[in-house]
Amino acid sequence: MRKSGKKLISLTLAVILAAGMTAGCNTGGSNEKSADNSGAKKNVTLTFGSHQSGLPTSGIVQELAKEFEGETGIKIDFQISPDAQWRDLIKVKLESGEAPDIICADTPISLVSSIHMDKYCAELTDQDWVNRLDASAKSAVSADGKVYGITFPGAKMYFYLYNKDIFNKLGLTVPTTYAEFKNVCQKIKDSGTTPIYEATTNGWHQVLPLFETGGLWLAQDPDIYQKLNDNKIDLDQIPALSTIIGQLDECARAGYFGDDYLSNAWENGKEAMASGRCAMTIAELGYRGEIDADYPDFKATEKLGAFVMPWGDNQIVGVNPASNAYFINKDSKYVEEAKQFFEFLSKPENLQKRLDGQPELSNLCWSEIKSKYSEEDQKFLDSLKKANVVQTSVNYIDSQWMDVGKDLESMYTGAMTPKDVLNSIMKRRTEQATLQKDPGWVK
Amino acid sequence: MNRKKIYPWYYAAGAAILFFLLCFLPGVLGIAYSFTDWNNFSDEIHFVGLTNYKTIFQGNSEYMKYVINTLWFTVATTVLKTVVGLALGLLLTQTFIKGKNLHRMIIFSPQVMSYLVVGLIFRSMLHPTTGFLNNFLRGIGFGGLAKNWLTDLKLVFPTVILVDTWKGMGYIMVIVIAGLLSVAPEYYEAASIDGASFYKKFTCITLPLLKPVLVNVTVLNVTYGLRVFDMIYSLTNGGPGNATGVINTAVYKEFSKGNLAMGTTLSSILFFVVLSLLYFIIWSMENKEVEV
Repeated sequence: MRKSGKKLISLTLAVILAAGMTAGCNTGGSNEKSADNSGAKKNVTLTFGSHQSGLPTSGIVQELAKEFEGETGIKIDFQISPDAQWRDLIKVKLESGEAPDIICADTPISLVSSIHMDKYCAELTDQDWVNRLDASAKSAVSADGKVYGITFPGAKMYFYLYNKDIFNKLGLTVPTTYAEFKNVCQKIKDSGTTPIYEATTNGWHQVLPLFETGGLWLAQDPDIYQKLNDNKIDLDQIPALSTIIGQLDECARAGYFGDDYLSNAWENGKEAMASGRCAMTIAELGYRGEIDADYPDFKATEKLGAFVMPWGDNQIVGVNPASNAYFINKDSKYVEEAKQFFEFLSKPENLQKRLDGQPELSNLCWSEIKSKYSEEDQKFLDSLKKANVVQTSVNYIDSQWMDVGKDLESMYTGAMTPKDVLNSIMKRRTEQATLQKDPGWVK
Repeated sequence: MNRKKIYPWYYAAGAAILFFLLCFLPGVLGIAYSFTDWNNFSDEIHFVGLTNYKTIFQGNSEYMKYVINTLWFTVATTVLKTVVGLALGLLLTQTFIKGKNLHRMIIFSPQVMSYLVVGLIFRSMLHPTTGFLNNFLRGIGFGGLAKNWLTDLKLVFPTVILVDTWKGMGYIMVIVIAGLLSVAPEYYEAASIDGASFYKKFTCITLPLLKPVLVNVTVLNVTYGLRVFDMIYSLTNGGPGNATGVINTAVYKEFSKGNLAMGTTLSSILFFVVLSLLYFIIWSMENKEVEV
């Protein structure tokens, strides 16, 4: 009795399973048919691979993609990966031929140490929008004079944003040297507030002080970037770098980053600043707009001031002319459709929509669109000395950005000393250069 | 015996050829590549002998740390999962426990969750200030036990090992239960009549009869432990720093750096370690079984 019951159940299950399989086959077949009937333009889905920071959190790119779908019927499927993993992931995917149709990646692409998007991506030099792009942005997405990508954000500059209320309450002034900065941090800490919001889990934020202070390197020697690329000098001959690594360690040990910085994620920085839990953080000016969007009561644009990172007594702001850009996978079946999407994104009205819909963005690298900087911001920016950041000028820095982030984490936990961190950065540069048979290294 | 074989050798040829082409050949090729300077940036491949292996084993290389981490992870998770799985299996076959199937299902359920999901959930649960665990500890007055679980160098590896044990013990439990249920109850009855205690029954009946199951469980645990990747990647991404890096996270990193030869070297080492360990484990455990 029991046996036959079991038999019955298993038979029924087998029948259901078989039916399910054939049902699956049927729908698949009919789908294919409808795709064939309705022409090539409709029913195309472009995959768009990006890291979290590559797409604005406001979702404006997704909105634009929806509009594009409405116009053309071409769908965009966004595949977003964590920041810390994207660089590795996309390299593996490109190498194995599994990359998405559209790829968001960091620029410049012409450095020897960059991901060689020119090797994997379709050339876009003949596109109409190319000449409207700002020259510096265009060079960031070009290799050997050929354009491969489209990019939107204007030049990036990172500052320390500080809570003016906390500074006023404690009678603090904006620090211009490291000693003053430490003093400010100590006073804020004594008042019971965390001086600096730091987040190491994303892997990139903690690295900014090292390479955004290229002004110090150039002050040492105006040709220093070239000399580094020719391997005429190495990083241990740049006092500013080792000084700053040491200072970061000192501040972490003094508790200026708070207790949880090793578990913090950059996404929670807005809350930390808006709630007044933390008094300062490294961010772009546009970050205030982002905080405003999420915490309108805080009025970040009024309450947060900015000053140049005073690590190593630096007073020159680092300018990064490059940002992330979108590229079209050369091996994609839908290169033309992807080009159509870029064309759509580059329309002036869509550029304006992007700037308006992205609170953290202050300007675009398309000069026809007016920037969002207030008069006060513009005055502040005009008053500053500027220098190109290290990672867009020196080889094998940007490619190991996340690894440097891990080294700094190790330093904060005590597993590495500041000297170890420096050595590790130099070792990786040598390793990468040798692997790529860089003439400066391999004779 | 051999002469009376029922099937000729070529019956297995189809499977053997497929296995050779799809498993064996790529494996051997992979090992061959570990003796070259194969990388992303050049189309030429040169033979470099043992250079890659030397880099790993020479001096104070960070690769050696990954190898040690991997072995440590394997030993710890294997022991923990086997002990906990065995204990749970024993407990959930006792007659006095009610709702055994429900308990088994609950304990087994983490096994069906994806590693990524488990990693992300635990990452938020173990956050020092906002995480569930520390808030809970503070709530019941044990604030002193609230630690930086995933960023303290002393705690991070044990934490990862415990999370992995939590996820994997249900699976081991299920296998052990299957083994326990196959032990004929007559043995226990006879032992009871002779006045054997629970402990005596466990050591003299359960363990010897479970030996084949335990061999399998150990093999499964060891091969899993040595090849671990997803758990570490999603929980700590090898951090803080490189404190929880294992061989496979290093392989992944080398491949993404474009240093393909180093990646294959590391996986070849892993292959040899797995192979030799497994041979040793199976050999030693089967040997003892014969003695019993």
